[in-house]
Amino acid sequence: MIRLLVPLAGFAAFFLLSLVTVRTVQPRQPRLFFLAYAIALLAASAFVYVRIWPLESVDDGVGLLACLLLQLLMCLTMWNAFYSLLWGFSGGLVHDLYNEAELRHVDRLVRSYERQTGLDRILARRLPGLEAGGYIERQGDAMRLRWKGRLIALGTLAAFKTFSLGMGGGVNRLRDASAGRE
Amino acid sequence: MLTTLAVAALALFALQSALVAAASALRPSANIYITIILVSLITAPLAALTDRFLLGETLARDGRFYLVVVHLSLGGFLFHFMTLPDRSVTLRILVEVLLAPGQALSARALGERYGVKTMITSRLEQLSAARFIEISADGRIVLAPRGLAFGRFVTAGRKLFGIASAN
Repeated sequence: MIRLLVPLAGFAAFFLLSLVTVRTVQPRQPRLFFLAYAIALLAASAFVYVRIWPLESVDDGVGLLACLLLQLLMCLTMWNAFYSLLWGFSGGLVHDLYNEAELRHVDRLVRSYERQTGLDRILARRLPGLEAGGYIERQGDAMRLRWKGRLIALGTLAAFKTFSLGMGGGVNRLRDASAGRE
Repeated sequence: MLTTLAVAALALFALQSALVAAASALRPSANIYITIILVSLITAPLAALTDRFLLGETLARDGRFYLVVVHLSLGGFLFHFMTLPDRSVTLRILVEVLLAPGQALSARALGERYGVKTMITSRLEQLSAARFIEISADGRIVLAPRGLAFGRFVTAGRKLFGIASAN
């Protein structure tokens, strides 16, 4: 069990490095830093583990695999919490409700997301990123998928079907079904 | 040894994924995340017994313990993986374009198919069902104790990471 201290230390380093980077560098794409730190710290943990417990048996090998997977899982959990809870939609909704009393009404909350431009706050933040990332392209008024976007959309659709997720996107599957979207 | 370990990990992940897919097909209305946690926990003791089958030799007590840690970690990855198709607005946008007639969609048409009102109302319903908020008949929203705690967490987290604007 003592070997689990290795992934715990690796995760603590990941958290601190990520926190300092986001606060001081304020990168446009924090995930690139998260990825680099996660990979570097996995390599460091593997190095430390093998130095202390050389791979002399399958038990040692399983221990190494467990430590690396656990460390990666903890890093991914922080990464996901950062993007999904702190930066994501549901977290954003609760943040608005918690901090702005006047938004604690369904209609006012919906209106706060609408924009005069025709694009609501949610789409206005995502479509430029998808276009810049090469996932979609604009042809006049129409959006089309580029190969990267098509590949991801097909994979997502496969996951919808495999795991019976309806149409995903955080929308209740019964709501989608009642709107004829499944 | 590394190849054997990689194959064993893949097998454990595939087993959990298949069981979660089967359980979701049988009960599509069930919460997928609870299904993943249950599948992972219920099958964890079995993972400890698969050492000879997966690795070709019997592990010591510590080895079996780490095999269970591997199994549970892989369940954790499945949990995180599931948030992508299930929760991501961005992925849903890509699928909407894929499924549109001629695979082309204007921003206005996208807003009609997957608009802000649908998104917010659905999320509020989910937050209400999970007892984070209460919504009265006239549309007023009250944060329940769980919602207040979540609100404090998100606010503190954004302050900690210096996030000024999001979602």
